[in-house]
Amino acid sequence: MKDSPRARRGTRLWSVLLLPGTIWMTVFFLGALGILLLLSFGTTDDLGNPHFGHTLGNFAALLNPIYMQVILRSLLYAALTSVICLAIAYPVAYAIALHGGRFKNALIAAVVIPFFANYLVRMYGWVTLLSDGGPVLSLLHHLGVPQTFKLLSTPYAVIGGLVYGFVVFMVLPVYAALERLDVSLIEAGRDLGGGPLTTFWRVTLPATRQGATAGLLLVFLPAMGDFVSAQLLGGPQQLMIGSLIQDKFFGGQDWPLGSALTMLLMLVLLACTSVYLRQATREAREATR
Amino acid sequence: MLLTPPPRPSGRPTRRSVLRGAAGTLLGAAALPALSGCGYLNTEVTADDLPPVTPEIDGDLVYFNWADYVDPTVLSGFCSEYKVSITQANYDSMESMAAKIAAGNKYDIIFPSAKWTQRMAQAGQLRRIDRSRMVNAPAIFKGYPYFADPWYDADSGHSIPFSMYKTGIAWRKDKLGPALGGSWSDLWDRRAAGYTYLLDDEDEVLGVGALRLGYDVNTGDQHRLARITDLLATVRPLLRGFSSDDYTNILDGNAWIQHMWSGDMAAVLSQADDASIYGFETCREGTPINSDCYAIPRDAEHPGTALLFIDYMLRPENVRKNIAYIGYPMPVPGTEEDYRKLVAPFPDCVVTLDDLEHGYHFGNTTAAGNQARDAAWTQVEAG
Repeated sequence: MKDSPRARRGTRLWSVLLLPGTIWMTVFFLGALGILLLLSFGTTDDLGNPHFGHTLGNFAALLNPIYMQVILRSLLYAALTSVICLAIAYPVAYAIALHGGRFKNALIAAVVIPFFANYLVRMYGWVTLLSDGGPVLSLLHHLGVPQTFKLLSTPYAVIGGLVYGFVVFMVLPVYAALERLDVSLIEAGRDLGGGPLTTFWRVTLPATRQGATAGLLLVFLPAMGDFVSAQLLGGPQQLMIGSLIQDKFFGGQDWPLGSALTMLLMLVLLACTSVYLRQATREAREATR
Repeated sequence: MLLTPPPRPSGRPTRRSVLRGAAGTLLGAAALPALSGCGYLNTEVTADDLPPVTPEIDGDLVYFNWADYVDPTVLSGFCSEYKVSITQANYDSMESMAAKIAAGNKYDIIFPSAKWTQRMAQAGQLRRIDRSRMVNAPAIFKGYPYFADPWYDADSGHSIPFSMYKTGIAWRKDKLGPALGGSWSDLWDRRAAGYTYLLDDEDEVLGVGALRLGYDVNTGDQHRLARITDLLATVRPLLRGFSSDDYTNILDGNAWIQHMWSGDMAAVLSQADDASIYGFETCREGTPINSDCYAIPRDAEHPGTALLFIDYMLRPENVRKNIAYIGYPMPVPGTEEDYRKLVAPFPDCVVTLDDLEHGYHFGNTTAAGNQARDAAWTQVEAG
């Protein structure tokens, strides 16, 4: 069967509309990625200037177990951050979407507006809050917590900073999924004898799984590459892979090694994301069967 | 029932064609053999072939510096005296400064550290400066002969010194007593376990290990670096972090011992409620000395204004204002007493001619040496 001229024109129009985005991504994403890839086989001269080349030495340097140790730690922190964000964001999004009434938009704005302030500035605020002489510890000590208890330079502070930094990326997709939820489905669940918990578990949660999946990815990916929280709130035992990459570019002046490390991180993230998406797709398919 | 997939509308990309396209783009990029061995940044043209700069107004000044590293009243004084404006931009690291310049941004005046002055001058990225054309520069080189031919720039041909500082240890007297031992081993003080910060700086941290072991602070020797990392691994369990926010760590109460740049002690003095609880010492194994310079990048569009600006900045009255504002000493004869008074509680902050001559300077090494040092630093930082 041949396409009608009208259908062909429509397809051509959509192809043209794709063009700006395609050019943008080709130049600024694939182009940058290509340069990064080339640089990962490069060298540096005596003055620290990077040069393109074809050595595998940078990838060989990554065999040092330290890099894998830091990557595993970053994976753990990013996974914990995603789960905690979900635990915090779901009830908030649920309350706003299903019980916010006419204040829904105002409440969502209240969630989003604090994130207008720059992340770095907010993290510096956390440093002051969590400092040994800061208000949080002063209050805790006043309440009887031992003087030796510290917050700064602990995993709790780093993960707390990550959760605070990225929780909005979880609230919004979960809220959008809950907004789309047909309330009559919940009512039907209750009419069919399901208690509130059963209905939530068997109706609401499956219906909003896609929003939660999107949120988990949106939080996990930036959290994995983040270096600000670990740098400002963590100690030597909380170093994350983002800090090491930043270090290669701005401290050690070894851009080729930094590029190779970035490629490794991208491969790890790609593997994690594919496994996760495949699993999520399979579950969604089973749920709708 | 067997289902056949519906025919795809012509023109819509399939997953395979998208993947093929992406792979083609990447392979195309990877197959650029012409790039092999090329510099990623443009370092081909040398500024040494350009004529010497004449100190005269040739346009408004484009100024590139750390934030808050010059008294704003000194900057505004230059504008009103010479009827020019200053466009200010700031960098947050030497590496980002160099990358911006190499990427083609045009600045008239920059303030590189000695190590970066050497690196940029050798790469032909700095204009030659003829100090005989300046009014206030000769006094510096007479009073501080060290700078007449420093290690980083032969005959100071591309730079004029701006500020000086050294690295030592700051500590909390109320926690650890009125004096420490005057040695880098004080960083291993168990009384401050969990309250000790090292600077987040490869040279400075490896330098501590090198000085304790009696090695060259710029060593790129694998064996020596292994000894250094072994030694520094023993301080790691005591550390609370690697951080260059040295005076913030001290003032917030997070650090009892802080590996510290001397210039930042002035900030402690001016911001602390009670500065008497802090001390600063230099160490007998050796003191790293550093200096920042004025320099004019190769692509400066107003080099004449820049040179005039440097000469203006070197006037003793402006130097005094800058010392009071940023807390770093400057090698301008007649201003030493001002700095001595400013940091009176911390006499070890003062940088003398003897310190300059006999201190330890962080310089550039070979590419292999840099790589070995970077690997050692990763080991110390992430170990």
